[in-house]
Amino acid sequence: MSAIREAVVLPLLFLTATLLAGLRTGAAVALEPPSLFALVLATMLLGALVRSGALDPARLLHGSRPIVANANGAVVLATLFLAGSQVLAMVTPRTGLPLFFVDIFLFVLLLNTLVAQPDRVRLLRSLAVIFGSALVIKFVILASLSAPAGSRTTRVMVALFDAATFGTIAQEPHSAGAGYVAFAAIALFLAGLAALPSARPFAQSTALQPSTPR
Amino acid sequence: MKEPVIRSCGLAASLAYAAAIAWLYATQPQTMAQVTGGFASIAGVYKVDPQAFADGLRFFRANQFAEARAALQRADPAERDAQVQFYIAYSFYREGWGRLYNDDVLFGRGLAAVDKAIALAPAGRLVVDDPDLQMHSADELRAELQRGVTRDASDFNPLRVFGARK
Repeated sequence: MSAIREAVVLPLLFLTATLLAGLRTGAAVALEPPSLFALVLATMLLGALVRSGALDPARLLHGSRPIVANANGAVVLATLFLAGSQVLAMVTPRTGLPLFFVDIFLFVLLLNTLVAQPDRVRLLRSLAVIFGSALVIKFVILASLSAPAGSRTTRVMVALFDAATFGTIAQEPHSAGAGYVAFAAIALFLAGLAALPSARPFAQSTALQPSTPR
Repeated sequence: MKEPVIRSCGLAASLAYAAAIAWLYATQPQTMAQVTGGFASIAGVYKVDPQAFADGLRFFRANQFAEARAALQRADPAERDAQVQFYIAYSFYREGWGRLYNDDVLFGRGLAAVDKAIALAPAGRLVVDDPDLQMHSADELRAELQRGVTRDASDFNPLRVFGARK
């Protein structure tokens, strides 16, 4: 891995993802720190990355490396953890049953990924699906159920749905740009994950390989 | 460029960026002016606009409190100057003060502003040497505003109408 990628690109990607994922726009702008459960999920995510070989900590922190290189590696690991916890907190709904079920959904998926020990490429694809699904659930499906605007019929349907579910599904409405900011944060985070130093070269993974002549 | 130089520069830039993000989380600025003013204040280059501050004081002394606040907010857009925030709080006090009752909304906003002034002042001690004021310290102003929003038996004292605005 090049020094520029380790010292500049990866921390920049992860810190920007942290900043965007923590941003809550609305009547007032706020930066929300991740919940405790998001920290637990981020720890599991880091474990899955290491076990699958998508991240080789020895290529970031090792006794044979110079002090500055080890400091760069430590920054990459710390920012990866922060970005992971903040992105996981961002895709989790804030209240009610959706919060409970999405937390369970993420926990089981990450636990399954940790135990299944997929290779690097499969893990990255799996994480893209997990984050993409959670983004759609929170910023498309739940947001449409909680949107304050719309026709009178829509408002009546939303009010009826809210009453039928005892207010446990509807969430606080998001600002117009929240979904786009979340999309950008996830894209940056996944780009950072793909750029992490891996344990195995591509040839040993499930990446497309030329067929051997018979 | 040599690898150690790249690594050192990258490390410094990453730490600076992380510190900036941590500062944003800690202070929760609401406007871009607060963000830029906050960073300028950390660097020690933040300055209050003297003309807008003078305008604010002129309006304040003429009992034009809404105009005074507009000018004072223009003087300190990042809300980083304790003295300006003190005058803003004082303007809320003077505007909200009444012989029969105080305006709780204005007093509440005054409390928020004086708390900000106390937080910005060195060691939380702020004394403004202005002969036009009858309360010179942020602590006095805060206590007066706090008394104004507190409901107790003294609110029903008829002698209260003889009280004077400070």
